[in-house]
Amino acid sequence: MLELLDWLDRPSVLHGLHLVGSLTLFVIGLYGLLGKRHLLKILMSLALMELAVNLLFIALATTSGETAPILSDGLTAFTGMADPVPQALILTAIVIGMAVLALGVSLAIRYHRLSASADIRALADAQD
Amino acid sequence: MEFSASPIWFIALPMLAAFSSPLWVRWRVLDQLLLGIPLGLLLLALGLFATVQQAPLIETIVIAPPLGIHLHLDSAALLLVALFCFAVTLVAAFLWHGATETHLRGRQPFVLILLLLAGGNGLVLTGDLFNLYVFLEIAGISAYVLTAVRDDRPALAAGLKYLIIGSVAGVFFLLAVVLIYLQTGQLNMAAVAQAFAEIPPAMQGLIAVLALIGLGIKSELFPFNFWVPDVYRGSDPAITALFSGLLVKAFLFVLVHLAVLIWIDPEIARIWLMTLGALTLMVAELAALRQDEMRRMLAYSSLGQIGLILLAFGFLHESTAAGAFFHLISHTLAKLLLFLVAALLLRRVLSLHLDALTGAGRVYPLTVGLFVVGALCILGLPPLSGFMSKLWILQGFAAAQTFWPIALILVAALIEAGYYFRWIRVLYAPAAASAVTDSKTSKTAPESWATYAPLLLLVGLMLLLGIAPFVIEGALVDAARALLDRDLLIQSVLGVAAQ
Repeated sequence: MLELLDWLDRPSVLHGLHLVGSLTLFVIGLYGLLGKRHLLKILMSLALMELAVNLLFIALATTSGETAPILSDGLTAFTGMADPVPQALILTAIVIGMAVLALGVSLAIRYHRLSASADIRALADAQD
Repeated sequence: MEFSASPIWFIALPMLAAFSSPLWVRWRVLDQLLLGIPLGLLLLALGLFATVQQAPLIETIVIAPPLGIHLHLDSAALLLVALFCFAVTLVAAFLWHGATETHLRGRQPFVLILLLLAGGNGLVLTGDLFNLYVFLEIAGISAYVLTAVRDDRPALAAGLKYLIIGSVAGVFFLLAVVLIYLQTGQLNMAAVAQAFAEIPPAMQGLIAVLALIGLGIKSELFPFNFWVPDVYRGSDPAITALFSGLLVKAFLFVLVHLAVLIWIDPEIARIWLMTLGALTLMVAELAALRQDEMRRMLAYSSLGQIGLILLAFGFLHESTAAGAFFHLISHTLAKLLLFLVAALLLRRVLSLHLDALTGAGRVYPLTVGLFVVGALCILGLPPLSGFMSKLWILQGFAAAQTFWPIALILVAALIEAGYYFRWIRVLYAPAAASAVTDSKTSKTAPESWATYAPLLLLVGLMLLLGIAPFVIEGALVDAARALLDRDLLIQSVLGVAAQ
């Protein structure tokens, strides 16, 4: 059992698991985006895809044993810390993703109030 | 560093002004600022041309020593920044005196238009991939809201559609950036350009495809541009003028810039870009033939011109790239004019459908006359700037002994002539008690001269550039050189020569 845990903790195995997991999430999001009709489900799929990319980046840029890249509590040097760049980038990407999602949901609600429909196909047909 | 010499102003000033908008509302200076800020930046950009010609301006804003934001202002970026500031100035002037629609007045459009300008400027100025993603989203979000700002059903539908497709593009681009960082450990574009060759070829291909999907959606290339006419149809023509004049051009520049920088083998980049450009050109022009709604027709025509510009850029040769920059400017002028004319017409007639506009030329001679001038400029008739820009592109291809793009561009021009003359014919057809004359009485009084001033300025510029292209020839050639010279860029940023 312990050997299995050790094996799982090796960076290559861990990264492989993270890679497979986040790519699965990405594909689920892509499926929802293409296959679903409800606007909120489509926005959720979008959020899922973004999440998958964020997860992929964070997981592959860190290896187990590294600490958060924050200088405090006696830590004064960047040793044994994770690379801070991916974390800063993903924090920004999360904020942007949330803003887009909030905007999308509020537009969807407005649209639903005006048209009593939340179907993406109605969106495509409502022309001229 | 001198106060005026920093490229950061092109991004920071519109943002600062946008975020302090409550103050401007209280002081009642919104309209003045919306015109004044882009105008000031335009003057700054014009003043910088001589400086940038000597050496590109590079600004690094350091947050904490290893982390910083890097801006790169070379001749190509400066040309586009000046063009963007000009486009926003013009639309702001049009809105100030001309806009009667309440949703185009006040704080919302003020904030959004300035953020769109900041995003567009940031896209062409940034030298850092993640910053590029942030600016892509800033420009994107302001564009989504601007599309939906009218807050009725078609506008919301268009805004939602734009938001969904735009976010998908953002995710794909982010994934490409993430993979680049994981492979090279770099985000600075010049450093990435140096390190990219060492990535395994399969990964190179994956990154290129992901970035191409993301930027292809954003810059409206075939086959990722099915959504464009719906968005252009649903939003206001004055806003669409900015999308066609500013936003697409920014993304197109980013695409070409990244392709030049990152793809080591120019042959492969050339095949991809030229194929995409040629396909976009032909498909869009053929689709435009069948459009019966003015905004849709203009949207497809805009797509066609984007394809033409990419075709010329994609050849990755100085002579065609200079022509492509010229055509980019010329197309922005013409499409601004055409979309603003559509905005004027929409104010007086109920629909921009072909049938509803029969005989409009007899009722509104000046407005429709301006439409004809814009259409002729797109077609490339002398003495308008569209003629000179297309001629430059054709000359560039001819000088390089490559003839299939020439044939393609000429065929596309014929198709363009087909649909634009169809519209012109209908606009001047005798109106048999049509909807135009009926709706004239129901809608408002004639426009003042101030409404037409920006449009007449556009016509003046088209004539000037058509008759005297040498006015900007130096700037165009410099821009083409700066865009295509990969080594120079890497050297100026990193201080070392490329391998």
